[in-house]
This record gives sequence, C-alpha cells and structure tokens, in this order.
Amino acid sequence: MDSKELERLLEKYWACETSLEEEQMLRDHFRKVRSMDETPDAAALFAYFELQRSREVNDMAFDHRMADLAKPKARAFNRIVHRSLRIAAGIAVLVTAVWFVRSEIRQNTPPEIVDTYSDPELAFEETKRALLIISRSFGTAEEQAKKLDLFNEAQRQIRSGTPEGSTGTNDE
Amino acid sequence: MDHDAFQTNVLPLKSKLFRFALRILGDPDEAKDVVQEVFARVWAKGKAMQEIRNWEAWCMRVVHNLSIDRIRLNNRQHALPLSEGLHIHQDTPSPHDRTELVESMKQIAEIMATLPQKQQQVIHLRDVEGYSYKEICEVLELDMSQVKVYLFRARNVLREKLTRMNAYGL
Repeated sequence: MDSKELERLLEKYWACETSLEEEQMLRDHFRKVRSMDETPDAAALFAYFELQRSREVNDMAFDHRMADLAKPKARAFNRIVHRSLRIAAGIAVLVTAVWFVRSEIRQNTPPEIVDTYSDPELAFEETKRALLIISRSFGTAEEQAKKLDLFNEAQRQIRSGTPEGSTGTNDE
Repeated sequence: MDHDAFQTNVLPLKSKLFRFALRILGDPDEAKDVVQEVFARVWAKGKAMQEIRNWEAWCMRVVHNLSIDRIRLNNRQHALPLSEGLHIHQDTPSPHDRTELVESMKQIAEIMATLPQKQQQVIHLRDVEGYSYKEICEVLELDMSQVKVYLFRARNVLREKLTRMNAYGL
C-alpha cells in the first residue's frame, strides 16, 4: 500500500468511515510494516490491537473443564452404573449373610426337623418311618374311637330305658 | 446441541470470549470463570441453541452481561492490567523500534483504560475482533447510532492522545 492510500484509509479510519474490508487492509499493512517511522500513532495502535488479538487461553486445566462440560451424558451413565454397582453389592452382602445364617441353622438342627434330605434312599426310609408313625397313630385312634362308640351306645340305651337285646326279665 | 456441535462451533470461541471478558474485568482468572459459565449455559440450553441465529454474538452478549454483573457484585472498577499483552514479537525490525513500540503500547493501554467502559467495549469488538456494527449492536444491545458514536469518540481520544504523545512525549 502506498503512503497516499495509507493516509487516505487512516483518515477514513479515524472518522469511522472505513468498511471492515478497509480496516482489514490497514491491519494487514501494519502487520507487514512494523516500522514506527511513518504514522507512528496508527502503527502503535494497530500493533496494540494485534497483540490483544493474539491473546489465547492456553490453559490445559481450563480446556479439560470445558471438554467435561460437554459430557453430561457420560457422567450420568457413570453415575447410574456406580449406583447400580452399589445396590448390587448390597444385595450380594445380604444374600451371603442369609446363606451363612441358613447353613448355620441347618448344621445345628437335626435332619428330621429340617425334613430335607440330599440322599434319596435316606429320604425314602425317613418317609416310610414317618408314614408308619402316622399309621400307628391311626390304629390307636381307631381303638379309641371304638371305645367311644361303645360308650355312646351304652349311654343311648340308658336314656331309652331298655337295653337293646334285653327281654325285660332279670336273668341274673 | 450435541457434543460435536459444541466442540466445533462453541469451544473455538473460547479465546474471543476470554479476551472480551478480560477487557471488561481486567482479571484473567475471572475472565476464564465467565467463559466457563457461558459454555455451561450454552450446553444447558441444548436444542434451544439451534434457534439462535448467531451463536458467537449470543455468547459475547452473555460474556458482557456476566462480566458487568460481576463488576456490580464486587462493586469495583474494571481495568485491564497495564502489563497485559505487552509481549512484543521478536520479528520487529530494530531494537530501537521494538523498545519504542513497547513504550507506545504501555501508553496506549493506559489511554484505553481511561476510556469509558462502553467505548472500550466497542473499540475492542471492532478493532480487535473485527465485528461489524450490526454484530456490535447485537452483543452490546445498543442502537447502531450509539455504537458509531462510541467508536468515533474512542478513536478520536486515542488519536488525540497518541498525537500529543508522539509530538510532545506526553
């Protein structure tokens, strides 16, 4: 850019009549020509603007924070996984505790009470024995029932006054 | 807004947003906090961001509003530290010019700090970020005429003070 053109553009610039393109031309000019001999005030001012424009955020921690901002879904997913794992761990502890308590109870309880056998033959024998006990009980109950029957019959005859099978005479 | 759109359209704005927040707040850490808050808001808006025509202008407006809120909250003056941005490129022609440039820029930083806040913001958006008047209106929620007046005044003050500085060493 020749000096006349530069002067013309600068006048427009100070009067705020330059377009963005013309201002870009001025920036390009002062970026190339860093001498302070011509138009020192404008040169310094454009250099100042250039330096301000070159300021960048060079901060890794800041960049990481910004990148993390855009990952809420991943964070939410991690949170869900974390919570699920905590719940699963709690359930596992509970199940293990129940299992231990159950084993302990089984060890201290006779197998007849537990009523569960891992050996089928033993289970069969125990079932037979249990049925026999029940059957014997049934027999005893039948005898008791017969006695009760007899008692009831006697009671009925006393109420009616004439014992069944009697002829009305005292044989004895 | 999905993760890819956020990565490609919003995250690259971080330096622009940071510079603007820094211009208003004058503190790099606070400026970063503001940018982080803006990004969090963008992400939280999700699909609603698709309705926004100009994401960059929207983000810059949020930066502006959040920064002003912080200044009000802390009840303090904003100022860009004079030491900010004074690292001169090594390809400057001569040591004399380089020294002169550093000195000039210190003085420009001082002059800039004396400008009213709105003028600083307008000149930053126009001359540092290269925004159009329309975009500046959108970011700062001002009329076109107001933006032009602020810019005109800011440039005039800069020109006047720079001329005086170069002529009399003031």
